[in-house]
Amino acid sequence: MQRVNVSRKQLIACVLIVALALVLGVIGVYGLSCRGADSGVKLLQDMRLQAVLNTAGSGAIDAYVAAEKQAATKAAREAGGGMKEVREATAKAETEARARAEELGIGAVDLSEVDTTALGAALNAMVAAQEAYYDEEARAQEAYIALNKDAITAAEDAAEVAEDEGGDAAMEETIDLSGFVATEEMNRLSAEVDSAYLALCEEIKVIFPALTDDILQSLKATITGVMAAAGDTFESRYDRAEASSGMNAGAFGVILRQARTFALTALGLVILALVVFFYAPLVKKMGVPRLIIGMFFLLLCLLALILNLSLTSQLGNTLVRLGMNGVLVLSMLPGIQCGISLNLGMPIGIIGGLIGGLLCIELGMSGIGGFLFACVVGLMISAVTGYFYGQLLNRLKGDEMSVTTYVGFSIVSLMCIGWLVLPFKSPIMKWPLGNGLRTTIGLQSTYKHVLNNFLSFEIFGVTIPTGLLLFFALCCFLVWLFMRSKTGIAMSAAGANPRFAAATGIDVDRMRIIGTMLSTMLAAVGIIVYGQSYGFMQLYQAPRQMGFLAASAILLGGASTSRAKISNVIIGTFLFQGVLTLGMPVANALIPGSTISETLRILISNGIILYALTKSGGDTRG
Amino acid sequence: MAAEYILEMKNITKRYGENKVLSDVSLKIRPGEIHALLGENGAGKSTLMNVLFGMPVIHATGGFEGEVLIDGQSTTIASPHDAMLKGIGMVHQEFMLLPGFTITENIKLNREITHPSLLSRVFGKNLETLDMAAMSQDARRALDSVGMSIDEYTLVKGLPVGYMQFVEIAREIDKTGVKLLVFDEPTAVLTESEAAQLLRVMKSIAQKGIAIIFITHRLDEVIEAADGVTILRDGKFVCETRTADTTVTQLAELMIGRKGESAFVTADPREFPEDTPVALKIRHLAVDMPGEQVKDVSLDIREGEIFGIGGLAGQGKVGIPNGIMGVYDSEGDVELFGEPVRLNDAHAALKSGMAMVSEDRRGVGLLLDESIEDNIVFNAMQVSGEFTKSLLGAKLKDSRKIREHANEMIRELDIRCFGAVQHTGTLSGGNQQKVCIARALTMNPKLIFVSEPTRGIDIGAKKLVLETLVKLNREKGMTVVMVSSELMELRSICDRIAIVAEGEVVDILPVNSSDADFGLAMSGIKPGSASGKEA
Repeated sequence: MQRVNVSRKQLIACVLIVALALVLGVIGVYGLSCRGADSGVKLLQDMRLQAVLNTAGSGAIDAYVAAEKQAATKAAREAGGGMKEVREATAKAETEARARAEELGIGAVDLSEVDTTALGAALNAMVAAQEAYYDEEARAQEAYIALNKDAITAAEDAAEVAEDEGGDAAMEETIDLSGFVATEEMNRLSAEVDSAYLALCEEIKVIFPALTDDILQSLKATITGVMAAAGDTFESRYDRAEASSGMNAGAFGVILRQARTFALTALGLVILALVVFFYAPLVKKMGVPRLIIGMFFLLLCLLALILNLSLTSQLGNTLVRLGMNGVLVLSMLPGIQCGISLNLGMPIGIIGGLIGGLLCIELGMSGIGGFLFACVVGLMISAVTGYFYGQLLNRLKGDEMSVTTYVGFSIVSLMCIGWLVLPFKSPIMKWPLGNGLRTTIGLQSTYKHVLNNFLSFEIFGVTIPTGLLLFFALCCFLVWLFMRSKTGIAMSAAGANPRFAAATGIDVDRMRIIGTMLSTMLAAVGIIVYGQSYGFMQLYQAPRQMGFLAASAILLGGASTSRAKISNVIIGTFLFQGVLTLGMPVANALIPGSTISETLRILISNGIILYALTKSGGDTRG
Repeated sequence: MAAEYILEMKNITKRYGENKVLSDVSLKIRPGEIHALLGENGAGKSTLMNVLFGMPVIHATGGFEGEVLIDGQSTTIASPHDAMLKGIGMVHQEFMLLPGFTITENIKLNREITHPSLLSRVFGKNLETLDMAAMSQDARRALDSVGMSIDEYTLVKGLPVGYMQFVEIAREIDKTGVKLLVFDEPTAVLTESEAAQLLRVMKSIAQKGIAIIFITHRLDEVIEAADGVTILRDGKFVCETRTADTTVTQLAELMIGRKGESAFVTADPREFPEDTPVALKIRHLAVDMPGEQVKDVSLDIREGEIFGIGGLAGQGKVGIPNGIMGVYDSEGDVELFGEPVRLNDAHAALKSGMAMVSEDRRGVGLLLDESIEDNIVFNAMQVSGEFTKSLLGAKLKDSRKIREHANEMIRELDIRCFGAVQHTGTLSGGNQQKVCIARALTMNPKLIFVSEPTRGIDIGAKKLVLETLVKLNREKGMTVVMVSSELMELRSICDRIAIVAEGEVVDILPVNSSDADFGLAMSGIKPGSASGKEA
């Protein structure tokens, strides 16, 4: 461990940040501890009681006003007035009654004026019953979803929307719960809530004798709604209670409410301070972009916690996406190593894989066999196309970046015609009318999730897609083995220093072709893995952007345009996909209904590529 | 009143950092004189000319000390353009001509004769029309004065190289007010008859009163054409003399000289009997290596000897090992211990038991982003499949064996590093060179080529590299062929030295031959056949 050189400025910044973190941390921890302590419980209970009294009070006023109105109407009728007179009298009575109610203080009861012991007890009993009910509901629904997983998930619409941009942003599945029936336990708990409410009503009537049972029943939804809701947290309860009580809880309330935010911000600040302190070695080890994205990823994690988004399920999604995109990103590696730089012509391989998948559907294969069949066909096609693609690149040495990009674009456009004229017959993939294949083809009947579900298990609420990760690991291992083989080493040398390789009698052109073929073949397998995880195959424009996404992922992992390692692939894919997976819900929570996460994706992927290109011009060791 | 000297450079000293490349050099040129500037590679000729032309590289590295006088007036030359305005022109070694333009256009480039047009009245001088007639007249005159009858409207593209040289000269002569022309190795690319014509042209230019600085290594041309000679050696002024008072042999001796430093490694040269088996037999080797053309080389290298190949840069000595090892295209017959070697096939050359330490260490010699150990075993692994183990039919690298071997090499050659996994790009030049040698040795070669083994490394490392070569030769009986620009080095460890000039072997000299002999050989004159006295 070498000594860390820290400048004065860094040190000052560190101390300031740590001090701020300490303050926030202390406040946050204090707030969190108060939530369970008497003072916190009392504040929340007071606000709830006030909310109940407010609601009940307005009910009482309404009841009083309604009675006055009725009386006025009756009086006006008896006086022989027409419609007009009746209406005027009613309006007048309403205004007067409201003023009088205000004056008499019918609806306004202050907490300090009444004895709240009994009321409080009744309220707490009801809240407890409600919470028990919602817990049970959540559990029951989860069980229901797990049981009927495939029947009720519908992602098709989302996929159709996403495919225009070739993106996978709209990957979440919508869940249809219309078939869900309440369990007996839920019914029992629901009944308990009802009886607790009745008990509460009795107490309310003591304070507001004017209230009738009917009115109280009509107020039930409002009162219970303030107390608890499905998927509740302390913060949301607090917010509702505060809003409907109209109380100002002061600084203590703010501390109580924002305790989590404070504590998490303090945590973030501590991390920031550490980064500032170890800035130089960190930058040296990880490079600026990885540091920025890594910090951004942590920021997103903290934000997700602050916003009460389910971090574990998001991390689970990230794992799925890691396996799903991993092989595609891995396909960049042989290309970079053999000297053709970023293989942005990846769509060539992708198309091979897609044809493999289509053949699998056409021949009616399914399950793991279908998946393997698709892989084999994809490998064969992409081996051939990769060979010719490699020949092309050997003739255009030095301009690989632009050549691969344009080859990628051209092949996608060419296949747009191809998809229309290929003689596939299966109705799953043909448009119902006319010729050609659909833009998005579902894989439910073939190999959807064969890897994802293989040996998958759940831990801490995260579903681990064991098969998918194992397959990715297997691909990584094979590539790693190849890179250690005699041919692999020769290929790397041909990429790193063609003149050196040639002086050792290595056929540089042949090595470049091997690298290009490998890259193309991995891309074919990659898209099949991607498809099985996504559940759909996307034709036409979709493959166009994939090369760029894979390229930015591997660069983010620390690869340069001329050197890459397996670790770059894994780290890069995880960070890149992690930021995207977390970015979307966080962005949606911060700015509802925005497409900011899509913007983020494009920004990150293209920004990373640009950064890497600026680095590749000069000496690779910067 | 004209001064006695058209150009005087007084006590010029130039440092690049700590390194003094010129110290106290003076140069005096009379009007109308052809003055030769002689010196080995690295003697300081180009630096002196860079100073004269005010090249940016001089200013960027801290300027120089000393004084430059033109026509007796002290001046500062700020840039090459400034030099042109002051009447100093340069005929470049590499042609600075635009191939797609006609001779006239090339000659008048950026000095076009124009007359105003409608557009230029509005938009300024850049849009004036060219006066082609006047321009071609000027070009014609210039071409005539260098004795070229070629049509001035011919495109430069496709002209023979000799013609391009003359066009270049014509362009310089055409400049008005030119007082001094520098010819940088003008005859290097010319045929004999063209060279003779060039010398005639130079004389006729000089007769018009234009002084010429003639940089060359061909000593006979100096004697034939030049009036005065200035000789530099190791950045120092050696002497200035009239050609009439000297001979080729004397010039050669002055140019090579005895270097101040003593040999730091000495291996006594050995005499090999005539019937020693021939290790490497080279017949009529021609190599197409850019900048180091080998035209026709025949050599017999005996088994167990340290054979030196010397000569000036660009003369083809480096091309010989590169050609044999298949790095550049080559032709001819090469036999190693009686077995014919397939040319243009690096793999076959390595397989046959030869290895090379390349002069281009960072370019051809190393994988800079790979570890020391991977570099060391690379050839052995690729060529003969050593250091591998089989797994499922694939040959994988055997990390353990590689590490063992690398550590042994690091110890043996004293490679200074943090460990076998350090990247070679982060090593110093000397240690990089040792890695290259280790890589060659790992192949267990019967014959090893070392090309410029001490270029760009410090004295300590130099010593170790040379000692290693001697040790390999004496202890393992390995035949060593060492190519070097540093004659000193060759003389310190070799048994015999072949001197290459213009792509051909001039002579094979014993190590203890005189400086004059080496000097003559380097300028392409076989000692013993030279005019003048033989030392």
